Amino acid sequence: MDALGLARLQFATTTSFHFLFVLLTLGLVTSVAVMQTRATLSADPVHARMARFWGRLYVVNYALGIATGIVMEFQFGLNWSGLSTFAGDVFGAPLALETLVAFFLESTFLGLWIFGWDRMPKWAHLALIWLVALTAFASAFWIMVANAFLQHPAGHELRDGVLRLVDFSALLTNPTFGAAFLHVCFASLTVGGVFLTGVSAYHFIRRTAEVDFFRRSLRLGVVLTALATPPLVGFGFGQFPIVERYQPEKFGTVGAADGAGLGFMIQIGFALLLVSWVTVPLLARDLVVRMRFPLYLMVLGIPLPFVAAIGGWLFREVGRQPWLVQGVLTTRDAMSHVGADQVLVSFVAFTSVFAVLAVADWVLIARLARRGPVDSDEAPVSPLVPAL
Amino acid sequence: MQGVWVALLAFLTCGYFALAGFDYGVGALLRVVGRDERSRRAVLRAVTPFFLGNEVWLVAAVGVLFGAFPRLEGELLSSQHTVFAVLLAGLVCFTVAVQLRSSGWDFLLVGGALVVAVGWGVLLGRVLGGPVWLWGAGMAVVFWLHGAVFLAWRLSGELRARATRIAGVLVLPGAGFAVAAVVTAGSVPRPAFGVTAVLALASLGGVRVALRAGRHRVAFGCSAVLCALPVVGVFGARSVVTASVMADVSSLRVLTWAAVVVVPLVLVFQWATWRMSRAAR
Repeated sequence: MDALGLARLQFATTTSFHFLFVLLTLGLVTSVAVMQTRATLSADPVHARMARFWGRLYVVNYALGIATGIVMEFQFGLNWSGLSTFAGDVFGAPLALETLVAFFLESTFLGLWIFGWDRMPKWAHLALIWLVALTAFASAFWIMVANAFLQHPAGHELRDGVLRLVDFSALLTNPTFGAAFLHVCFASLTVGGVFLTGVSAYHFIRRTAEVDFFRRSLRLGVVLTALATPPLVGFGFGQFPIVERYQPEKFGTVGAADGAGLGFMIQIGFALLLVSWVTVPLLARDLVVRMRFPLYLMVLGIPLPFVAAIGGWLFREVGRQPWLVQGVLTTRDAMSHVGADQVLVSFVAFTSVFAVLAVADWVLIARLARRGPVDSDEAPVSPLVPAL
Repeated sequence: MQGVWVALLAFLTCGYFALAGFDYGVGALLRVVGRDERSRRAVLRAVTPFFLGNEVWLVAAVGVLFGAFPRLEGELLSSQHTVFAVLLAGLVCFTVAVQLRSSGWDFLLVGGALVVAVGWGVLLGRVLGGPVWLWGAGMAVVFWLHGAVFLAWRLSGELRARATRIAGVLVLPGAGFAVAAVVTAGSVPRPAFGVTAVLALASLGGVRVALRAGRHRVAFGCSAVLCALPVVGVFGARSVVTASVMADVSSLRVLTWAAVVVVPLVLVFQWATWRMSRAAR
């Protein structure tokens, strides 16, 4: 494989790994914020315990996901310096806004939230988790603004051989931005809902003693999935006319990878929509728990929304080839002047490190999830979360 | 407008070196200061509240580099492809090893921290035209020193004494590095660079005096300045940042609004984290 092919493969691999972490982070932080709000309003200690347990899973996933995010960010300059040289004035602006407005603030808020357990007034601590959630979605907002520019460049002009920003608001009103952003938001909420449901179902299969704790978690998961999937599917299909209008060749050039990705995504989306709405009435008097066999399906369903998201992302990105910025800059021209062996070394290094990282993340989260809620004075599993 | 962004980039990069510097130092010293599992846990517990807050300075700095200096970003990163790849792999290993620590895998934690420290040194050496081995070793010493001073401040008893001893031993090699870096500097204008070295020697003196007097916070301030000084050197001594590599004013204007709001907020909240950890100690 030549340097270009390797660099593309590396980008796809890095982004896919990163995307897995991001989805769970967004889905879980919203759920934790809801739990903590109920904990603040109600006297029942179960809500605070829920926020603690699910919050711990969230923090582990976030902290490990940062590692993939850092590599993601460097990768633009390492392998695609043509992109920053030619389009950096326009494409770089939302990316810089993401790191400053969203990520920099988010991590700072989160650091204080982790450390502030039991040390802060509870309303201030509650405000912090909502700020974390808000900045997390702001991250998605700016990343999708940047991505929409690659799909359908707007708000720029060509001056002295490089693109210059002339109309910032055109970046935000980009037709390939709005629906796609909302689609990603609801996808992450679906991931969160399915994850809550699956982990809670696992504990019911094992006949947990924490019935109230996991009944509430399971309900929240099912309701979240049921609420998130209709707009998820809606904003998904809502994008077809937009793609048809601005990137008609995307449907024409569908290959094996992105075509299969699109198909999986649509099927999984519909399945989750149907199943979650069938499950909602079964929540009454815990029928779904007593029937037992749905619990096994819930556990098996945990990976599905992740698969769907990767599939959808492949379709959005692969379908644009050979363009990096549609109609303006080809992927080949954007490639840095680096040799194939250099790209190969970094590809092998990052991919192996990420594979270990992803496995470690899942093992650790599975271990924490399996252990269930424990009292906080037990030894922390992860030193980053000693306060949780 | 452009001056503001050069200053902001310098500020974020200095912040990263001064804050994450002690993460890497503590990481590399983990098994030197912590002789048994109990004390190693105490060492890590001292850093972990700040870990997230420290690492994000790098993300913010690179974000600003991309948004405001797009042509410098592409040029710098792609020309140092392999160094960055190794450095990032070390950074990922270090971050993960701190997270998922189990004592059998400490070589990843210590090794990752070392790779990052040496990697930044190599990069600085290449940008400034000095000998790469000197900068690699020198930055490792500087980060070790910073980590040791941090531990001397945050720990107590025998661990504090050990960290203080290590910091004391590292002051002299640090001074040697500062002098050697100026003497061997390539095309860099000596006067500007000399000032940085004088400041480095002053900070090293400050570390030594403050540690002897038991003024740990002052010592930490001095070693933080020491970590940030090479960055100041790059910005002061080399005109790497010129208008031609920067984004157009129309892009900078948009970013300026964000920076004006966010940077003070980050400073306030990170300060609050430090304050709270003091109260909790």
